[in-house]
Amino acid sequence: MPEGTGALREVLPKQGTGGEHRPALAAQPAARSRPFSPFTGQLSMEDTAAMVLCKPKILPLKSVSLEKLEKLQRAAQDAAQPPEAAPPPSAGAAPPRQ
Amino acid sequence: IQAAWNLKTRALTEMVYVDEIDMDQEGIADIILDENAIAQVARPGTSLKLPGTSQGGGPSPAVRPVTQSGRPITGFVRPSTQSGRPSTMEQAIRTPRTALTARPITSASGGYVRPGTASMLTNPDGPFINLSRLNLTKYAQKPKLAKALFEYIFHHENDVKNALDLAALATEHAQFKDWWWKVQIGKCYYRLGLYREAEKQFKSALKQQDMVDTILYLAKVYLRLDQPVTALNLFKQGLERFPGEVTLICGIARIYEEMNNISSAAEYYKDVLKQDNTHVEAIACIGSNHFYSDQPEIALRFYRRLLQMGVYNCQLFNNLGLCCFYAQQYDMTLSSFERALFLAENEEETADVWYNLGHVAVGIGDLNLAYQCFKLTLVNNNDYAEAYNNLAVLEMRKGHTEQARALLQTASSLAPHMYEPHFNVAILSEKVGDLQRSYTAAQKSEEAFPGHVDTQQLIKQLKEHFAML
Repeated sequence: MPEGTGALREVLPKQGTGGEHRPALAAQPAARSRPFSPFTGQLSMEDTAAMVLCKPKILPLKSVSLEKLEKLQRAAQDAAQPPEAAPPPSAGAAPPRQ
Repeated sequence: IQAAWNLKTRALTEMVYVDEIDMDQEGIADIILDENAIAQVARPGTSLKLPGTSQGGGPSPAVRPVTQSGRPITGFVRPSTQSGRPSTMEQAIRTPRTALTARPITSASGGYVRPGTASMLTNPDGPFINLSRLNLTKYAQKPKLAKALFEYIFHHENDVKNALDLAALATEHAQFKDWWWKVQIGKCYYRLGLYREAEKQFKSALKQQDMVDTILYLAKVYLRLDQPVTALNLFKQGLERFPGEVTLICGIARIYEEMNNISSAAEYYKDVLKQDNTHVEAIACIGSNHFYSDQPEIALRFYRRLLQMGVYNCQLFNNLGLCCFYAQQYDMTLSSFERALFLAENEEETADVWYNLGHVAVGIGDLNLAYQCFKLTLVNNNDYAEAYNNLAVLEMRKGHTEQARALLQTASSLAPHMYEPHFNVAILSEKVGDLQRSYTAAQKSEEAFPGHVDTQQLIKQLKEHFAML
């Protein structure tokens, strides 16, 4: 997941002039006086921090034991809930076993 | 008739049997009032309580979400991974404890009451075996019956004291020569919190009969005593005697992961796969490591393997969808997410999937869709801090500063360990000119993630500003 360390905002002059005369790279590429640089023609550079998003979440897989535990807990909960009119589930609600 | 009784006992136990090696639910009281720590301040890298600096490298919190204990999200969750080590009581109460609900278990014994109601489930007319009327001495003399009975009492009834009595009598009867009983006594002591005694029992059992299980139990004791290095040494010695034993290698990898040494953990998980290339935990962990190290295609391969093996649940499809998207295989992405939504068993899982879908939406530039996805996340799970944070970012883009601020407030209070909400509050406040608030928020962000370059730059800027005044 690519993420740069900060958002870069370049301020580029309109139409590449802004007072600077760019050499015309015309007929003879071999006769180019200076190497091409992406920053040619750039006036100023602003390093403004942007708000960050929280990252996408890879969900952890559950182990077999965990799934069985969850199933048991769910079954216990379901068993405990329906007999509400009946006397309270004695085994479940009793003080923790010593 | 004895055979029938034996069979029924073992069948009932099997119904609720959860491998003790994995079972490790620690209650809050046990954690906060833990007197087993040996050193007050442990040296870095020797304690499980302090995640320590990420000495092993691995993705920083700038790329990988972090759980409440400060550790990065792992690829695999077991009954014991749920317990982080909270430093304050408040954090402890907030950490979800049970496998299902977020309600905390107050203490270990309380937690086991739930599974103890298994006896109610299986026998609505009353318990199969009435413990109070049992003559343990009589049963202790018959080793075969005694073993089945012990397992029943321990797992089905969750009555550790009676189980311990039975085990003690049986060991005496066997003249202390039976390693199995020593291990069982050790397990009882572990449940009761008497870790040093448990350690003694396991060690003596190991001397008598070298078994992988005993090594695993002993390592659990050491981990509970917050001695990861001892546990590591134990595993390594065990590997000399049982070369290539997958559970031991896996144990080592887990410990390294707990200590935040991701690179060593990855190495050992790879070893596990060399021995057993269907090991789900290793595949899942390596997959998630690759994803967060900017290699989604490789992560995709791992998760595809899991699919091949027949793992078929919401989490896997969610991960597949994410990897496909970031690996630019857009054809599979949405259908994987659809499947994930279909397979979600509860609202929390649904919320997770919608959250990741929100990310996909942001990635394709459809901010309206992203907004809806994050809102759906919140519908399913009101406490989803990341969704609040991301919604705030979207609102900021639309220019709704006040709403963004409110959302960030919620996010940062729900998840103070995350640096993103704090950082965003800092940026927001700086934009509107509230420099004091910006500074405090930036401080909090730095606390949560000291390596964040933007936070440091922001703090530097603010300090210069204040110095000028």
